[in-house]
Amino acid sequence: MEVNVELRKAKKDEQMLKRRNVGSFPVDASSPYQDQNQNAQSSQHWSVEDIISGVNSQSLDQQLQATQAARDYSLLTDISNTNSKLLSREKHPPIDLIVEAGLISQLVRFLALSECPPIQFEAAWALTNIASGTTDQTRAVVEAGAIPAFVCLVASPHPHVSEQAIWALGNIAGEYVLEGDGSTYRDKVIKHGAVGPLLVLLSVPNLSVYATSYLRNVTWTLSNLCRNKNPAPPLAAVQHMLPGLLRLLHHDDPEALADACWAVSYLTDGPNERIEVVTRAGLVPRLTQLLASTDIAVLPPLILTHLSIHLPQTPTLRAVGNIVTGTDEQTQGVLNAGALAFFPGLLTHRRSGIQKEAAWTLSNITAGKDSQIQEVIGAGLVPLLINVLQQGDFKTQKEAVWAITNYTSGGSVQQVAYLVQSGVLSPLLNLLSAKDSKTVLVVMDAILNIFMMNDSAPNRQAADKLGETEKLCLMVEGCGGLDRIEALQTHENEMIYKAALNLIEKYFSGEVSGCLTQPLGGAVVKKTMHPLLPKQQLTVTPSKFKTTKALSVSETL
Amino acid sequence: TMELNDANLHTLTEYLQKTLSPDPLVRRPAEKFLESVEGNQNYPILLLTALEKSQDDVIRVCAAVTFKNYIKRNWRIVEDEPNKISDPDRTAVKANIVNLMLTSPEQIQKQLSDAISIIGREDFPQKWPDLLTEMVTRFQSGDFHIINGVLRTAHSLFKRYRHEFKSNELWMEIKLVLDTFAQPLTELFKATIDLCQTHATDINALKVLFSSLTLISKLFYSLNFQDLPEFFEDNMETWMTHFHNLLTLDNKLLQTEDEEEAGLLELLKSQICDNAALYAQKYDEEFQPYLPRFVTAIWNLLVTTGQEVKYDLLVSNAIQFLASVCERPHYKHLFEDQNTLTSICEKVIVPNMEFRSADEEAFEDNSEEYIIRDLEGSDIDTRRRAACDLVRGLCRFFEGPVTAIFSGYVNSMLTEYAKNPAANWKHKDSAIYLVTSLASKAQTQKHGITQANELVNLTEFFVSHILPDLRSPSVNEFPVLKADAVKYVMTFRSQLPKEQLLETVPLLVAHLRAESTVQHTYTAHALERLFTMRGPNNSTLFSATEIAPFTEQLLNNLFNALAIPGSSENEYIMKAIMRSFSLLQETIVPYIPTLIGQLTHKLLLVSKNPSKPHFNHYLFESLCLSIRITCKANPASVLSFEEALFPVFTEILQSDVQEFVPYVFQVMSLLLEIHTSSIPSSYMALFPHLLQPVLWERTGNIPPLVRLLQAYLEKGGTTIAGSAPDKIPGLLGVFQKLIASKANDHQGFYLLNSVVEHMPPESIGQYRKQIFILLFQRLQSSKTTKFIKSFLVFVNLYCVKYGAIALQEIFDDIQPKMFGMVLEKIVIPEVQKVSGQVEKKICAVGITKILTECPAMMDTEYTKLWPLVLQALIGLFELPEDDSIPDDEHFIDIEDTPGYQTAFSQLAFAGKKEHDPIGDAVSNPKILLAQSLHKLSTACPGRVPSMLSTSLNAEALQFLQGYLQAASVQLV
Repeated sequence: MEVNVELRKAKKDEQMLKRRNVGSFPVDASSPYQDQNQNAQSSQHWSVEDIISGVNSQSLDQQLQATQAARDYSLLTDISNTNSKLLSREKHPPIDLIVEAGLISQLVRFLALSECPPIQFEAAWALTNIASGTTDQTRAVVEAGAIPAFVCLVASPHPHVSEQAIWALGNIAGEYVLEGDGSTYRDKVIKHGAVGPLLVLLSVPNLSVYATSYLRNVTWTLSNLCRNKNPAPPLAAVQHMLPGLLRLLHHDDPEALADACWAVSYLTDGPNERIEVVTRAGLVPRLTQLLASTDIAVLPPLILTHLSIHLPQTPTLRAVGNIVTGTDEQTQGVLNAGALAFFPGLLTHRRSGIQKEAAWTLSNITAGKDSQIQEVIGAGLVPLLINVLQQGDFKTQKEAVWAITNYTSGGSVQQVAYLVQSGVLSPLLNLLSAKDSKTVLVVMDAILNIFMMNDSAPNRQAADKLGETEKLCLMVEGCGGLDRIEALQTHENEMIYKAALNLIEKYFSGEVSGCLTQPLGGAVVKKTMHPLLPKQQLTVTPSKFKTTKALSVSETL
Repeated sequence: TMELNDANLHTLTEYLQKTLSPDPLVRRPAEKFLESVEGNQNYPILLLTALEKSQDDVIRVCAAVTFKNYIKRNWRIVEDEPNKISDPDRTAVKANIVNLMLTSPEQIQKQLSDAISIIGREDFPQKWPDLLTEMVTRFQSGDFHIINGVLRTAHSLFKRYRHEFKSNELWMEIKLVLDTFAQPLTELFKATIDLCQTHATDINALKVLFSSLTLISKLFYSLNFQDLPEFFEDNMETWMTHFHNLLTLDNKLLQTEDEEEAGLLELLKSQICDNAALYAQKYDEEFQPYLPRFVTAIWNLLVTTGQEVKYDLLVSNAIQFLASVCERPHYKHLFEDQNTLTSICEKVIVPNMEFRSADEEAFEDNSEEYIIRDLEGSDIDTRRRAACDLVRGLCRFFEGPVTAIFSGYVNSMLTEYAKNPAANWKHKDSAIYLVTSLASKAQTQKHGITQANELVNLTEFFVSHILPDLRSPSVNEFPVLKADAVKYVMTFRSQLPKEQLLETVPLLVAHLRAESTVQHTYTAHALERLFTMRGPNNSTLFSATEIAPFTEQLLNNLFNALAIPGSSENEYIMKAIMRSFSLLQETIVPYIPTLIGQLTHKLLLVSKNPSKPHFNHYLFESLCLSIRITCKANPASVLSFEEALFPVFTEILQSDVQEFVPYVFQVMSLLLEIHTSSIPSSYMALFPHLLQPVLWERTGNIPPLVRLLQAYLEKGGTTIAGSAPDKIPGLLGVFQKLIASKANDHQGFYLLNSVVEHMPPESIGQYRKQIFILLFQRLQSSKTTKFIKSFLVFVNLYCVKYGAIALQEIFDDIQPKMFGMVLEKIVIPEVQKVSGQVEKKICAVGITKILTECPAMMDTEYTKLWPLVLQALIGLFELPEDDSIPDDEHFIDIEDTPGYQTAFSQLAFAGKKEHDPIGDAVSNPKILLAQSLHKLSTACPGRVPSMLSTSLNAEALQFLQGYLQAASVQLV
């Protein structure tokens, strides 16, 4: 299984895994049944013992009040942290108190009390918050049998109950635990039939019958059901969810839209067969349109505090980027939908994160057929890509280098010539001083490709090739590239200094003007060292390589 | 096992003592003895005990060094090899070494620290989980001798994070290190800085504390290199505030007298500049709030730092930081003020471009290093280079103002020079350097966007300021300026008009006579570069006719320059000789008889002690050119070359000068190939020696030896069969050796193909079956794409030479139905991979014969393969080459791939012409196929068309129709 080690802080761009209901929007989400116990003692003063005895009492009213108190406990935690909303894994002592007191199974039982929706709601709320906690806390909820109970409540006639149940399911599905049998909580939620009732909700003629927060919860929970790979969610469930997601992609609430896009981005983050399922469902044209989403800058500052994740552009671009890691045909689908028309805006976007993902996406398009490279040229993107290479921030430059190297690897002689004429060499060679070994190596691959492209150009006289090689050498030398390559001969990294040595021996040792010919049977394997660069996934996700066409070498005689 | 007792300790000490003896007769046996017992259990423990217990400091250091070397040789566990250190010893070493290192005096500490990092490289973190905690605990000791030991060890453990590729394994290790180490390191950093204030007047304490700070800063760099760790992002304020303060700090006590060696303060500040540059380059977003402060601090640092050599690294790092920042769009505003720009130009760039007295000394006394730095671009860390990069960086946004500011400077410096050249020549040097750095930027632009720079007029500057120096009759006056002028021509050769360059050639020829090594070396290099330039029609820019008038002067001056002291093995001059030969071609023929003597003489001299590989390479190239050019006009003169060269060659081969042997084989191949009649007896005498296994042990010999044997076979296949048939098994032995190696199998095939092509068939009849069996064995043991391609070419060449029936019979003779298997499993699926015109042609003709001249293909169970083979052949004609490589071959070790054998230096001018064994016999293989099919169809009417129509796909059929039409034949 792939493990992805990160040194950085968690990405701000990413979607929330779990959320707690902290009642920050009282009208919408806090208890509509508040009036029922307004005169009761403030639940803040309940001790755990009080709650235990309340929950275990025979009186429904006592039980309800105790449940409210338990819910308040679940709210008490780290109020200071609520504005971040992103729950870190720090300790939640009050929740632990509830868990340790063994209250969970009782709360789960209350979920089934359909004759008393308020207690269902309060229990669901408390459990939602418990499930938003640590893995152990979530596990306690799951092991108490909460999943089937919540699944039943999705169809509850009381919207608040239903919404809270959906939310709780989202939190459970968002916990990435691999059980012994290789399935996850996400799959458990799916196995208990959560997808069906959720999709029923989305099949109403008009989605605006739902409150905004309700629909957002539905979407967010769906997105958690699509999330994570190793293993990916069951194919049947995915196919079931896709029409619903397509509907949501046409909905106009930006937050729901963003979460729907995240869902699609998760579904496309996988092998080509998975991508195929999404493209077959006809999502690509709409997804592509969404690349044009409004820039964050024009939105009022209030929304800005909700972070950029609520804007669909980031997840849309991620989804599109994932799709083009697929086959040439899948990539072509994105191109046919007109995606490239949005790239001038994306490559010059105010946010460097968007620039980076745009460059990454292009890197997988230029890893395709030369006709696809031609479309990139036709969309006028080469100068913009070079611009990004020159002055993007480092993580963008890194992706741009891949885009260029893939381009030089798969492009035709004319296409590569155009790239050189557009001024790629100087910014490319500057990156030989990058403080990242992989980038340096990929830059050298690009340079070697450019030279080899000239060597292998068909219909070109040997003397012309020699002249072109000399011109290239001069250009490389002229922008200080040769100095940089020579300096790399003393690099600590073995692959880098060997690659530098190879370039120098082949093209800069001054022995170009002999009559070098391959002797008879010169079966020198041209691309052994520099195979066509595989399509790559974005560095924030575990990398998957597009495997180059495998050879059908038969078994030995 | 060695007992850990006093007697053994005593013995060990005695031997250690002996290893220090100046007398090799005492020293060597002692070293041998120690190596012979190092495999014993307890040996390392005994060494460490000696190190710890000995009263004699010399013995202690000696034990430390011996221990480190022992670890270096033995610690790594190599797969399939025995574990050389017992597990209890490993555990004991790891348990004691850290403590021992930290409590030892510095000299021993360094050795043990090295040993720890070697062990760490293998065992850390999994097999040495407590190393870090043990080290971190020592931070609390308050003893900076110990702390620095820990820091130094940590630095050698972590510095690989700076160059290794990202991998999960690596990042997991870094994460672990961060979890244990980052917080204590930060605390230590803060505490050390506080202590610096407490001890601000105590020079000895400060020295220790500042070396700690430098090490801490280096660790910061390593730990932050791969990505910005969460911990350091959260603690950026602490680190950056302190770094910034340290940059602006000056302490009189820490200033050193030494002009050359960087002091502690300089080392620390250089590292901080690097750290800031790392953050600015990679973590721009997070670093932005701190950046302007650092720009100001570094800029002030530059303005106040002197010209001494000891500041070079600091200054160059500081300038490189500014250079990388100023070209970022969002920092543009920090520089755009006219006063800022002027003051950067005036106070940072111009002073750092000055020709300093240290440069002058190098120019005169250490020309080799000067050339390497100035000409070959190893000046990457120099002030001049950094200043030049800053100019380029600033020009990105401020080209106009920067050029204007510098134009003023250039003019005033040139005026100063004109007033009193003798006193002010360095001003002109700076002016030229400034123009060059400004214009180089434009050069990039020119090539990039075909937009010429109007701000610097290169030709005008050339005419007014460069040409006069080149024309000066006193060649040896102002050698630095002359070298500058020559370098200017070389640098801007592609920008200057051809007439100007042509006018320069005789001037340069005159400058070859300069006494200054730098000057005549630059001149030779400039001429060599000019002679390689290409004109619009891709022939050389200068024709032989244009240069011919200078031939005699040019050759004289070049060869005389080799006689100037210090230049006797000057590679630039030798390369210029080679290039002049190559350009002038037959113009040099009259001079060759004299020159060949000089070249041979040179060869004899350098073969005593080959030390300059490039010089030697060009020397051999020049020899090859002399031979080619002369023999082209008069092939008979090959004999006089052999007469002149063979004595030296014999000497080289007899004394086995390893560097030269491959060259000699190449020149001999060239000579032998020129012979038109049969092989001379002088060559035949050498033949048995060429088959000696020892020669084939060296990889560098293989390609030229194979080529030489091919020449033998081509010129003397019949002679060998007739007069030396006993040598054929040896020849095939060579083939057998080569074919067994993935790296050299293609060479084996070259040889085999020559055997098939040139030896009389009957002479190898008895060996044929064995040859095929060897090939099959290799196919079974390790099949690579390269091998398959070569195999296919060989099989088809065999078919062309011996006929399709012979081919089928030899396969089926080895094992029934083998022929069909080869067709099915190799020919059909793999032939699309064959590359090279000639190779494809051989395959096409061979397969055509298989299809049309092999009865078994028509009458046996092989018949079902017939259409598939035909389809594959049409694919070979029509489809693009399949250059895909199976996944498991992508990472074949680089050493295994041809072209990476550094030991073999291929001579370009000994190059072999492409050889087509089929030649004109078949001009168009498609037509041959059509005609052959026609012939086949008339022999068995009706069968061919029916096989075609039932089994060939439509597209292939269409192509085939085309061939039939072109050949005007019809199938019946």
